Amino acid sequence: MREYEAVIARVEELARGLGLRFDPVVFRMSEAEEIAEVASMGLPNRFVHWYWGGAYKEIRLQQDKSLLSILELVLNSRPAYAFLRRSNTYLQNVLVIAHVYGHADFFANNHWFRKSNKNMLNESERHARTFRAYEATVGREAVERLLDACLTVATSVNAFERDPTRRRRRLVYFLEEHAPLEPYEREVLQAVREEAEYFDLIQRTHVTNEGWATFVEATLLRELLSPREWAEVCVHLCARPAPYTLGYTLFRAVRNRGGLQAALQARRYYEDVRLIDETLTQELVDRLDLFVYDPRDRSRNTNVDAVKEMLIEQKLYRGEPRIEVEDPDHPRDLVLVHTEEGRKLDPRRIALYLKAVHGLWRHPVRLRANGKLYTYDRRGLSTS
Amino acid sequence: MRIHRGRIAQHKHDTLLREYLKQNLHELIQQKELVAEGKVKTQLSTLDLPTLRYGDDEAYLAQGGGSGSGAGEEGAQPVGGLLGGDHHGPEIRVELDFDEFVRLAQEVLLDEVQLPALQRPPRGGEVETEDLPELDDLDRMGLAADLNLEETLVASLLRNVRERGVADYDVDLRQDGWYFVEDPSASRNHRSLEVYVLDISGSMRGDYLALVRKTIFLLWYALERRYPTNLRRYVVFQDVAEEKTREEFFSVESSGGTHISAGFEKAMELLEGASEYDTYLFLFTDGETSSGDFELAKRKYEEALERFDLVCYGHVNPGSRGVGGFSEYVQEVARRRANATFANLVDLDSVRDALRECLVRVDGEGRQRCGSTRRSSPAWRS
Repeated sequence: MREYEAVIARVEELARGLGLRFDPVVFRMSEAEEIAEVASMGLPNRFVHWYWGGAYKEIRLQQDKSLLSILELVLNSRPAYAFLRRSNTYLQNVLVIAHVYGHADFFANNHWFRKSNKNMLNESERHARTFRAYEATVGREAVERLLDACLTVATSVNAFERDPTRRRRRLVYFLEEHAPLEPYEREVLQAVREEAEYFDLIQRTHVTNEGWATFVEATLLRELLSPREWAEVCVHLCARPAPYTLGYTLFRAVRNRGGLQAALQARRYYEDVRLIDETLTQELVDRLDLFVYDPRDRSRNTNVDAVKEMLIEQKLYRGEPRIEVEDPDHPRDLVLVHTEEGRKLDPRRIALYLKAVHGLWRHPVRLRANGKLYTYDRRGLSTS
Repeated sequence: MRIHRGRIAQHKHDTLLREYLKQNLHELIQQKELVAEGKVKTQLSTLDLPTLRYGDDEAYLAQGGGSGSGAGEEGAQPVGGLLGGDHHGPEIRVELDFDEFVRLAQEVLLDEVQLPALQRPPRGGEVETEDLPELDDLDRMGLAADLNLEETLVASLLRNVRERGVADYDVDLRQDGWYFVEDPSASRNHRSLEVYVLDISGSMRGDYLALVRKTIFLLWYALERRYPTNLRRYVVFQDVAEEKTREEFFSVESSGGTHISAGFEKAMELLEGASEYDTYLFLFTDGETSSGDFELAKRKYEEALERFDLVCYGHVNPGSRGVGGFSEYVQEVARRRANATFANLVDLDSVRDALRECLVRVDGEGRQRCGSTRRSSPAWRS
């Protein structure tokens, strides 16, 4: 760690010179495995679930191939904790350090991100401990089944939704209010929902956050590095996964139009939808090689409006089908509706999904989708 | 002490995966089209959270080959998961890599047949060479990790001077990228050449396929542990024989009559240029060769015995009927010939016995080859 102290101090100084303001950052040297673990679970010390296991495996595999592997990780806490990977080269870690200051600045200044719960680290650990205690009393399998169902319905959270009537149409809130759950089940559902809201909020500023961090990284390193090193970094910056390159490209466009001040303003007030909507142009779409792919006729649509619409829709609904509770005022029957006309749901998933909902609701669950009415009750799935 | 939560989660995940495979292996393995684009379709929706998704036909957002890694129509990457699907991490696969499927299937099968434990697997899948390939050629298409920095930067510099009149590194990988690639003419070193020949005449389907594939997976397990490098070639035959890729071999449509001679003949063609290898022929059939083919098949079988180090003949017989026709002839010959084995594949037990016999021979061959570099006629008799 000592070899990095000087460069950390220098990067911090440059960052402040650029106009960034942030809480203290604590750097830690760590193994690739630990980084994969936190990256797959989202938070350290979170409850252990098989679902993270699949992601963990994937990340470990990528780390071995060193393709698009995660080099860095920073936790949204006060102070911010950042992990440097021991197996990184010195230059890679310098990149990471600069990138981390971008994140720290974003954590402290972005209007939307600041709403996130800085105490989530501790809370998720408390949740994990609660779940373990329940495992001891009701059995591991029961808790695992419950968690499967809770994680499935928790995708219906929306951290930005403030309107209580619209909120009640979202399945997870509806179930929390009306489902005939045991006290421990309700507590688990609530805990899972809180964590899902936390991730949802982070997700809604993901492109902006990564884009800003990459932008800061590039700006600081240009000052810090020799031209030769900078040139090398330049190549790496445009070979990163989509949220990084998209966000970075957009922030560069903002700066080219309105200077650094405009970029600083954007990082303070924008979230993903606004950043994409105001900044994405046809030229950038072409450069990023983004398009809407239609598997029916194998066509690519590279038109900026089509791409933008799809991107924004993905950000608003996380690329998931829009499902609502039909009539939350009569909480006897649970009828769900797929509200997008003309789009079809994958029929193979419907039975399993409804089974999970039924596990919490206990009574018959209905779903209107694909022009049919699906019913799931004790006898299983039926269609009419 | 640190709790390895990641490993615990992975263990839970893999336990579920294995459980699913164990319960469904027999059905999965006899799918006509086992592999497509390197993946095995498993309908593993249980291993994903059962959240709702759009149907397969719906349009999605994608980013195509921008990093230069195969920009074809199929190279397009959906960006949904990366932009925040239902999880902050990458999407969990609902399909398995074929290699991973094979590894898990082997695990399940080994458990069932209770073969003696072999040494730890050095790696899974088809292995062509132990060394990393020499990347000593350049191409405009390649993997991101193999980017040639210097060439790319020069290309970028030149382009920027040309287009904007500024000597700046504003790299656009689509236009500037140069990648290290393997020189396609470089020769590789392989130690074992395994030719798998499968009868796909009308009668080979369902249980037949399941039994053959299980046998092949177990053979792979054993052979991968004996040879540092395995070169595998695949032949299917009915009236005529054709060489297939691995993927095609595991996605065959059964039809037509049976000319076993054609299978042997094609297999021998594949020996061309394989003088440095231990050569194995594994042929799977139900033995019902067409009536006009019997004599020719005999001659070709004899010829194959001369040219391969070991010829294993699997009579696939899940109904446990008597051995007749061409198989009866081979059974007779195999008793007399040292480099021939005959196996009546009825169920997993018979597969195990056949494997044992086969491996004893393979072992003999391996030991002999290690002892002397001179290529001599096989000394099977022991």
